[in-house]
Amino acid sequence: MPSRTIRTLAFLLAGITLLAGLTGCGTRVERLEADEVRDLSGAWNDTDSRLVSEEMINDMLSRPWVNDFKRRTGKQPVVIVGTVRNLSHEHINTNTFVNDIQRELTNSGRVTFVASRDERQDIRDERLDQDIHASAETRKAMGQEYGADFMLSGQINTIIDMEGRTQVRYYQVDLTLISLADNRKVWVGQKKIKKEVANSKLRF
Amino acid sequence: MLTCVLQRPLHYAGCLLAGVLLLLQAGCASYSRNFEQEIQTLASQDPAAALKTLDKQHHPERNRLLYHLNRAMLLHMLGNYAASNDEFEQAKQVIEQYQATSISEESAAFFINDGTRTYTGSSLEQLMLHVYAAINYLLQNRTDAARVEALQIDVRLRQLQEADPDSILSIDPFVRYLTGLIYEQLGEIDNAMIAYRKAYHAYQEHHKAYGINIPRILKQDLLRFSRQLGLNEEYERYRQRFEVEARALDREQGELIILFHKDLAPIKRSQHIAQVDPGTGYLVHFALPMYEPRNSHLSHARVVVAGQRVPTEPMEDITAIALRTLQESMPAITARALARAVVKHQMSRQAGENDGLAGLLMNIAGVVSEQADTRSWLTLPGEIQMARVTLPPGDYNVSLELIGIGGQVTHNRQLGQVNLTRGGKRYLSYLWFPAYPTTRR
Repeated sequence: MPSRTIRTLAFLLAGITLLAGLTGCGTRVERLEADEVRDLSGAWNDTDSRLVSEEMINDMLSRPWVNDFKRRTGKQPVVIVGTVRNLSHEHINTNTFVNDIQRELTNSGRVTFVASRDERQDIRDERLDQDIHASAETRKAMGQEYGADFMLSGQINTIIDMEGRTQVRYYQVDLTLISLADNRKVWVGQKKIKKEVANSKLRF
Repeated sequence: MLTCVLQRPLHYAGCLLAGVLLLLQAGCASYSRNFEQEIQTLASQDPAAALKTLDKQHHPERNRLLYHLNRAMLLHMLGNYAASNDEFEQAKQVIEQYQATSISEESAAFFINDGTRTYTGSSLEQLMLHVYAAINYLLQNRTDAARVEALQIDVRLRQLQEADPDSILSIDPFVRYLTGLIYEQLGEIDNAMIAYRKAYHAYQEHHKAYGINIPRILKQDLLRFSRQLGLNEEYERYRQRFEVEARALDREQGELIILFHKDLAPIKRSQHIAQVDPGTGYLVHFALPMYEPRNSHLSHARVVVAGQRVPTEPMEDITAIALRTLQESMPAITARALARAVVKHQMSRQAGENDGLAGLLMNIAGVVSEQADTRSWLTLPGEIQMARVTLPPGDYNVSLELIGIGGQVTHNRQLGQVNLTRGGKRYLSYLWFPAYPTTRR
């Protein structure tokens, strides 16, 4: 009996050690559709960014300020995206979120979009370069930029509630559209996302 | 049953295989330990060389957290703050991924040693990870990102508090102060006040535990903000208790914040212990981790800027907290080590009764594999000190005088040029690691 115990233990040991050495071998890659929802860690991800921007922009464009502006001026409103501040618990890449918003806005065809502060500088450098090097008929003149009528800015906030290994993460995204001429807020949008994340106590 | 089919030669082979594997495991663990000490010595003289050595080495998955933490610290020393934060983010992922208890690792740890488990860091190391990540963001002038770290610190402290409400480790003083500083910089004065209040409470508790003093700058901040927020009673209370003047912060002026990281956190050693197990009466041998105290040659630093000399003051005694952390987890470590030693002892005894050679092999494997888990973040500084200097906007040349225990200036260090804007805050960080002689084991 004792020798059998030893043998069992010895093999158990060897087995465990071998298994411990073997785990982690091989990388598995699986391609996903860009719009497929796959939540891994519970953190803010591409799906959240996409859903929030789509919904908020749809809401924004369905409100009366667009038609009001058109009626008053006879033009399409020109919008610029300012800063979206990340005041959440996670290092969220607000750039992808801002890009999602820009895409939705531009593709809607209902507003005109102008380049943001960083992009503008690049374009001005290019025009300066054209002034010297480009032919007269293709050269673009300075001082012809479209001034924006409205600026979109906002913030992402989170509240985390937890008990043991379960967390409820509550995200709130606020966007505000402000008229650059007179500081009026013409649209205020809000979107909330709530997730429950449960971490398991055990793994293999 | 598999064991019934096995013949005697196979039985030997099994034992031998187990023994060899145990030796391999144990060998790996001590090799990486030696290597880490090398990194530590190199870091004090040449962080770039330390980084190269670190990258050349193979790091087992179970020590990946330490690899990222060491790498992050070396990159911080080299002034590459963005890359340093990439490493910290990876370290966070390791902690997240491995925080659940592993069945296979626990059983291996039960038979071999605690070092076979994936290292997820002590509570102190996990907090310091966020502290240095936040400092990296502040150094890059990315205050919003530093605020994210402040919120993560808050979550982490809440988890610690929930796990052990009575432990002083769940109320870290400097961590709270730093979050206050971040909120203050963003103009969130009420959040800053709450953080400074919590820092004050934590400093009081930590003062009782190992004698760190309440920093003068915290007293000044409490006075300043309680007055600014119109908390008159609280202001009076602080005024009577503190012997300092409120430091008015002029909106027209800028502020220079210098973080001075002194020495290195203590290093763990494996200590062998022979004890009679009360349950079985066997004399068993096992190993426990212990901290090796390290002498410090510096007391503080003096910031030299625009003709002023401002001393830094201790904000966080990482060494004392590390000792305390190990002390609190010692009962659990000892219980595990004792149980493991008894099992190993019984295994070799039973094997020996049946077959002398098998018994001997089991015994050797048991003794060789018995090592305390001495892993820790070796490039973590031993103490954080700070100075806040108010200056009119402009360009400044900042240098540090390192002051020895006797009060004499031992080193001069140039921190470089800083441009202060009106109402702006600029951070500078300097790490001073002494070259400790490595004692190889």
